[in-house]
Amino acid sequence: MPTIRVPSALRTFTKGAADVEITAATVRDALAELERLHPGIGARLMVDGVVKPFIRIFVGADDIGELGGLDAKVSERDEISIIPAIAGGAGA
Amino acid sequence: MTVRATIVGAGGLGGPISLALAGTGIELTIVDPDVVELSNLHRQIQFTAVDLGAPKATRLAGSIVARGGVARGVVTRWVAEQADEISGDSDLIVDASDDPGTKFAVTDWAVANGRRYVIAAALRYGGNVMAGAPGVACYRCLFEEPADVPSCADAGVLGPVVGAIGGVAAAIALGLVQGDRTYAGSLLAFDDLRKVAEPRVVRYAPRPGCPACARAPISPLAAPPVRVAEGH
Repeated sequence: MPTIRVPSALRTFTKGAADVEITAATVRDALAELERLHPGIGARLMVDGVVKPFIRIFVGADDIGELGGLDAKVSERDEISIIPAIAGGAGA
Repeated sequence: MTVRATIVGAGGLGGPISLALAGTGIELTIVDPDVVELSNLHRQIQFTAVDLGAPKATRLAGSIVARGGVARGVVTRWVAEQADEISGDSDLIVDASDDPGTKFAVTDWAVANGRRYVIAAALRYGGNVMAGAPGVACYRCLFEEPADVPSCADAGVLGPVVGAIGGVAAAIALGLVQGDRTYAGSLLAFDDLRKVAEPRVVRYAPRPGCPACARAPISPLAAPPVRVAEGH
């Protein structure tokens, strides 16, 4: 079963879970399933069906942009990583 | 051959990055507009209580000079309009700021001027380190534009995390100035250092239409690998 790796900043939606197993054949399906399981997280990732510009999604080590975007296929053992931009430099 | 670097930010990340790079003989320009506050001391271990109220950039530079290194502090926010003046002689630039806009400005300047660069960030229990060099995808290829993302002031950061992320950023920066492109065009994402010390390393391709890459010199200005001290 594919796994979605949830960044720590979004784990308030997953009750602290870092990994969420989902049933999906594409990244698009996986994100829809993630939203079904954990309502609200989808709006933090996408707007109007498009991944927000400061969030990138990888299947394994590969950017989905090189795999067909949201239609990228995922298999049973794939790990989907959600990696957001962060700004902290501990200046404040 | 003297190697020079600009460190943007003298806080939790800028401290360990600056101390580590200065220890290899790299000459630093450290840029930060802020002063040392009491709330900084638990994780910005380059400062002590006697530094309270003093500019971070000059205090950190002074600490490096006291150790035998070469550094100057510039008390200002690093902005594109002053970049050539402040960083024009730098072979490398490292962003250790807590501001998304600055990370993109550093990227844009580094790409346009053919410089190696590192973008570092730490938040809560993890962080990201991106390594850039001429000819590879840039930070703007990855995240496209500044956004209202959480900062340490919003979400906090664990003290040891900034030391760990800063150490990784310094090591990768050192590799870049030595000509090592292992991580050039890659992002190292540390999710939760309390649980997993190993980063997720992801690579990405240049983004078609990236405005930063469109301004990159046709012939990258990559300087030849340089020698720096590797003390043990």
